[in-house]
This record gives sequence, structure tokens and C-alpha cells, in this order.
Amino acid sequence: MHFNLLEKKSYLVLSGFLILGLSACGGERTTPEPIVAAAPEVESALSFENQATAGADSYATNCAACHGANLEGSTLGPLLSGFSFIQRWGTQTPALLLGNIQSNMPPGGNENISDEDFLSIVAHILSVNGVDSISNALTASSDFEIADNISRIIAQRQRPEPPAPQGLTVAGNTEEFVEFIPLTQEMLRDPDPADWPMHRRNFYGHSYSPLDQINTENVKNLSLEWVWNMHEGDSEPAPLVYNGIIYLINPGNVIQALDAESGELIWEHWTGPANRQDMRNIAMYDDKIIQATTDARLVALDARTGEQVWETVVADNTKGFANSSGPIVADGKVIQGLAGCARYIPEDCYISAYDADNGELLWQFVTIAKVGELGGDTWGGLDNIFRAGGETWITGSYDPDLNLTYWGTAQQKPWVPVSRHMTIFDVGLYTNATVAVDTESGVLDWYFQHVPAEALDLDEVFERVLVNRGDDKFVYSIGKHGILWKNDRVTGEFRGFQETVFQNAFTHIDPETGAVTYREDIQNAQLNEWTSACPSSAGGKDWHSMTYHPPSGLIVAPLSQTCLENAAREVALVQGGGGLAASRKFFEMPGTNGNLGKVGAYHADTLEEVWSFQQRASLHTGTISTGGDLVFVGDLDRRFKAFDVNSGDVLWETRLGTSVQGHPVSFAVNGKQYIAVTAALGGTSPRTVPGVIATEITYPRWGNAIYVFSLPDE
Amino acid sequence: MKLGRKSSLFVLISTLLFSTITQAQEVFRARLSPMPTTPQTVATILGEGEVILTLNGNSLNVEGSFEGMSSAATGAHIHNGPPALPGPVIHALEVTQATGGSVVGELTLTEEQVEALHNNEFYIQIHSESNPPGELRGWVFLRSHFDN
Repeated sequence: MHFNLLEKKSYLVLSGFLILGLSACGGERTTPEPIVAAAPEVESALSFENQATAGADSYATNCAACHGANLEGSTLGPLLSGFSFIQRWGTQTPALLLGNIQSNMPPGGNENISDEDFLSIVAHILSVNGVDSISNALTASSDFEIADNISRIIAQRQRPEPPAPQGLTVAGNTEEFVEFIPLTQEMLRDPDPADWPMHRRNFYGHSYSPLDQINTENVKNLSLEWVWNMHEGDSEPAPLVYNGIIYLINPGNVIQALDAESGELIWEHWTGPANRQDMRNIAMYDDKIIQATTDARLVALDARTGEQVWETVVADNTKGFANSSGPIVADGKVIQGLAGCARYIPEDCYISAYDADNGELLWQFVTIAKVGELGGDTWGGLDNIFRAGGETWITGSYDPDLNLTYWGTAQQKPWVPVSRHMTIFDVGLYTNATVAVDTESGVLDWYFQHVPAEALDLDEVFERVLVNRGDDKFVYSIGKHGILWKNDRVTGEFRGFQETVFQNAFTHIDPETGAVTYREDIQNAQLNEWTSACPSSAGGKDWHSMTYHPPSGLIVAPLSQTCLENAAREVALVQGGGGLAASRKFFEMPGTNGNLGKVGAYHADTLEEVWSFQQRASLHTGTISTGGDLVFVGDLDRRFKAFDVNSGDVLWETRLGTSVQGHPVSFAVNGKQYIAVTAALGGTSPRTVPGVIATEITYPRWGNAIYVFSLPDE
Repeated sequence: MKLGRKSSLFVLISTLLFSTITQAQEVFRARLSPMPTTPQTVATILGEGEVILTLNGNSLNVEGSFEGMSSAATGAHIHNGPPALPGPVIHALEVTQATGGSVVGELTLTEEQVEALHNNEFYIQIHSESNPPGELRGWVFLRSHFDN
């Protein structure tokens, strides 16, 4: 269903108010969101110390598999100790932490964990993090501020490392390597073939390079040119390449400038917080590199020297707001999404725009319709404060002719209608939709809600790929349901769909309107009732962006084939609560022969599948295509492959140091074409689900790096 | 090239015979993999296997093997449920009472069950001592489905 909202300004929040607050969080995080569940008071004579001792055993049984025996985290779950934990939870209370854990953890269900056990686990976590100045046992209503109960000695003991660097750590100037030329709107509109100057390379999000020096005939000779080790931590990086310089986002909000030809480091800037968290992409405009930080700020650096030019706050990180993806710069406006919007608080998620010259806020578009607004009656009568979700955790696209920016929105929170005290008929505008927003004013032009009232943690938030076919202008997207959607991008009208992987969430998809009908048991799922569905929350497709190859008219997507069982948990309607709230189990997708990874090619006109390639290992990079008729993609099993875009034949592959993860790019320097890709760790569902299904695939738990390939010189 | 009358008749008879044989020898396959799991249970729901099912008319022959389960198998069944959706047991199978071994059966299907088989609505499940609800499971598809 879609709706045209041209000229309707009731959704515009045009303001210049300051939003303050810093701390850390990610995009699609399983990092605890504060939730207050119905946890009873526990009367006990236990001391905090005894409680923590008991909690160590419960933690070892129920939590350590994902979060590590010493709370150090693993690829299956975030760390629960040290600086980043205190930064995230130091200003919160044990009651909120308890509610969070009780509602969301362990992900497979909590039927065998008592309320006392949960309290003990919280005590153990707090104890390990240095809470030492309380003696009474915790209760479900313990409301002291966690950081206020950590003595200096303990705090120092748990932070033996010197403070992380701040600001410029390696000074240099790109002009020592190449003359600097400001990057203009017109240059971004039609990038030089040698450059990859924005995430997904062009405004349309094609992830396509016209370079054809490396092609189907000679790709077999592709060889490593150089490699650069990156900082460790969660990472899904999308490098930028402009005028022979690679701008590389590292974990922990660190940006580096490298000479693309030699791999020489030119400058490095630690914007902070130094938290090992993931930021997918950055942007460039004029003479600035613009980064979103994991604590929801925007920072502009001088592209030549890495020195900070301006900084602004996107949202208050202490309220859970965060970012895991960066901005797109459209006509001089830095347009940024927002994540971490699952809490029951007055503030909601929005897309916002800033002046690229100085960071001044220009507009905000709030993705959740409030009471009294158009669409405000789609939230089951809930008070505004209990309307959550609608994150925009993947960077949008832009049509400079229509002056519209296209974004996907995430689903309502919590994940299941019964948890959010709603029904399958409470569609919750403008969640799980494509929204087309006027870049000048921030006014919603149209929306199309792909999956209203989403019920399985399958959001439709990923990249919007804009394609012109003749005079027709389309926008394509694939969400976690694995359905390739085609919409008219002028009006939003539905133009077709294709199921790219097996799905059984819907019994019917209307071929005329695109309206979906959920299976009856999903519609009526009650608390603690297991529902089985495909795909899983790892998504038929996830954050790994797809490519459009203009010469062939093919859209080539990195897909994933797993399924889940899902059970809703109870969430109380309490201010400060909210969250995700479901238990989940995962299994192989029937009929796939255990192949988790699939590369699928679909024609933009007919949406028919032209070819596909399946393999055991899940895919962990976006796909890119080139003028040499190649498609590149990387996987969990450390393999980086090149396909013939027309046939799907594998023409080349190599094996890197650890899982190949991020967004490949292609560029040229001095007439020579290069292919670059990152190896990286971390990630949420796309990493954890294969982690419990394809357990035989092993890879080092370190090794973030960028690898650059080229053809040998003749 | 035009075929003569005798040649056409030969082709027709051959086709009919081939079709009959093919119909009588439809071969299906199930890949057995762990039941739904989580990071907490991934070390206790284990194993894999393969089952070949041959349909002759209404007779279904089941032969397969499995290995690597966390504990000895206690039973195996064919269930009726569309892909990824649990359903009722329709037939018990013989299974080696160990962490690995064979799973076999010989059963006669109703017309409705033959249709369900063709609609990928059969799955095989092996239960074990430590996972009574099931440890391995796999949906049944035409073997040719896996050729791609």
C-alpha cells in the first residue's frame, strides 16, 4: 500500500534545537535495550556478594556461550564488561538492566531461568564491572545509578589500558600525494570512472563501476597488490576512493586516509568513542569527509589532513540512540538516519539533514506517526511514548532530478504484535516501508509499506536501488523477507515482486497491489508461543547491499537461506521500557541442501531469476559489478569470488585472512584498475545465525584488513 | 526431419514406457540437519544425514544414514508438514539406536500422502536420548531439486 503525501507538511519537524548526549551503541544491535518486564520483587536475605557469586554459575550456564566466560564478548554476542559497558549502562539502573536481560536473553528462550537467577546474573555482571559499594542484594526495583557504585580503585583496576587516543593521531596531507580537487555535487552525480566517491558509488546505489580493464577473460590473473591491517572490532566497512586516496572507516570511529596505489597511511583520526563498534560507511563532499559516529554524532574532517572541521549531535545517545551507518550527501545536505529507537521514550527515530558546510540542522523527518497526525491512527491507540521502532539504520539513496531521497525504515518494536500490545491490523506507519522524502524540505512525498505490522524481526530497511528503464523510474529493494520489490519511484506505486529465497511468512502476495497476507498462526501468535518461519532474522537479505549492472539490466543480490522459530516475550508498557522481546531458534532452510549463501541475479524488467549460485558459507559482503562484466562477493569462509555477471560462473576466487565482510569497491589510479575488499569481524544476526547452523566453518577472530587486488603489470 | 509412421509409433511406445518407469521410480531426498538451535544449545543438537526415498506407485522405500548426534537415537518418523512447519507423524521408521547409523522404512502411502510428498510436505525427524523432541530433521524434495 502506498500513499502520496506531496505538500503535506504535518510530518515535517523543522527545527534547530540542540540534542545533547554521548555514549555508545550500534545499529541492528542485540546490545541490551532497556526494558522493564514484569519481574516480581524478590525478598531475600542474600547479600549482593553472595548474589553475584551465585550469578557467576547462572551466567556460565546461560550467557557465556555468546558473551564469553569473562564477559569479553564473542562473535555471537557483545562484550558485557569494561569501558563500553559502563558507557552504555553506567547511567542506568539495575532494574532496567534486569528488565532488558529478562525480556531479551537468552535468545533461545528463558523458560528455565528463575527470577532469582536473572537477579543473580545481573549482580554478577555488575560485580565484574566493578560495582562494589553496595551490600544489599539486588531486587527487581533496585534503582541506583550503576556507575555511582563503582569505586575508583575497582574502576581503575578494570581499565588498565591507557586512554584511547583522541583526534588526529597520524598527521599528513593528501596533497603530498596528489593535488586536491574539491568533490562537487556534479561530480557525485556522475562519478569519474576511476572513483568510488560514496557508499554504493552513485546516488542511485548501483554499486557498479564502469571500469573494464579487469574482465571475464583476465580476472583469473587477479593478484594481491597490497594489504593494510585495520583496527580490531566489529566492522562492515565501505571504503571510499577519490582521486587516488582511500578513505577507510575503522571500528571505534577511526578514519584513515591511505594512498590507494601504495597502501601508504597518510592520516588517521580517532573521532571516538573508541569502543570497537561498527560503522559501515562514511561520506565525502567538497573538501570534507563526513562520518556518523556510533554515539549518534556527525563529524566533518578535512579530507586533506583529517583535522576536524565541525561536529553536531544527531540524537541523544544516553537515551539509546545510535548509528551504525553513515550519511549520504545530496545537494550539499548531509542526510543521516538513526538507530536505537526501541525504547518507550518521548523521542522517536528520524531522518535528518544538515548543512555540509557547518553541520547546521536543516530538517528532520520522524518515521513514526503520532496521535493526531496522518497515519497516527495505525498504532492501535497506543500513547505516543509506546510507539517504537522505525529505525533508518541503512543509508538511503537520492534522485537529483526528482530531488527525493529514498530510505528504508525498520519495523515496529518490540518484534511481535502481542509484545507491543497491538494486533496484526495495527500497521504502524511509517515502519517497514520505503519513504521518499523531499531533500529540500524534509517533507514525506510518498511511502510504500512493504510489510505492515511486521511480526518476525524481518525488517525492510535495506538499500534502495534506483534504476531507470527507458522513461520509467523505479526503486528496488529487498528486505529480510527476501522479496525483491519494484516500485515506481515517482509515485511509490507497486510494480512487481519476486521471491528470491523460500519464504512462508505470507500465504499470499497480491500481484496487483503487493499487499501481503501473513500466515494465520503468525497473525495470531501469543506470548511464549513458538512460530516457525522462513527466512530467519539473518534475512533473506540483510545489510550487504546488492548491485545493479546497467549493461545487462541485472540486479545481483547477496542472499541468505536460514529459518527461525520465534516466540514473543512480554513487555510492560512502562516509560523507559520497550525493546525487542522474542526468543529465537534457527535452522537450515528446507530444500537448500544446507547452502546458506546464495547469489541471485534478477532482471530489472521482468524480475525473473536469470541465474543463481549457492554455497554452504553465508555471504558477508555486498555485491558489486563492473564494466568488465564481473560481480564480486565475499563470504564467511574467507573466500572472495568473481562471477561472470551474465552466466553466474565463478571465474576467480582467493582466500583472505578471516571472514570477508564489508563492501567491495573498484577504482583506478594512473590508468590501472583495482578491486578492494575488507576482511572483518562482528555483526549481528547475519553472523550469529550462520554461527549456530554452519558450525564447521571456522575463521580467525581477528584480522580486520583491506585487501587490494590488481592484474600483474605486463 | 519427418518421422515415419512406424518410427512415430516406436517413439510413442518408448515414451509411454519411459514415463511409466520414471513414474514408478521417482526418487526423493532429504538432508538431515540439526533441529532449531541457539548459541546455548548448538553444542547439544548435533549431527547430519541423508535419506533417499523411492516411490513406486504408492509404495515408498526409505533408506538413509546419519552420524554425529549428541546421544543415541531413540526413534525416527516421517511427518506431514509443509517446509519449515512442524506437523503430525504419519509413519515410524527403523533407526539404529546409536549416535550414527541407518534409518529405513517401507510404507504404503494414501493418494493424499502421495500428493503431499510431491508438494514437499513430508519431513523426516530423528529423536535422541538427550533431545526427545528431535535432534535431526530434513524436508523431502525430489532429488533433482538439489541438482541446481
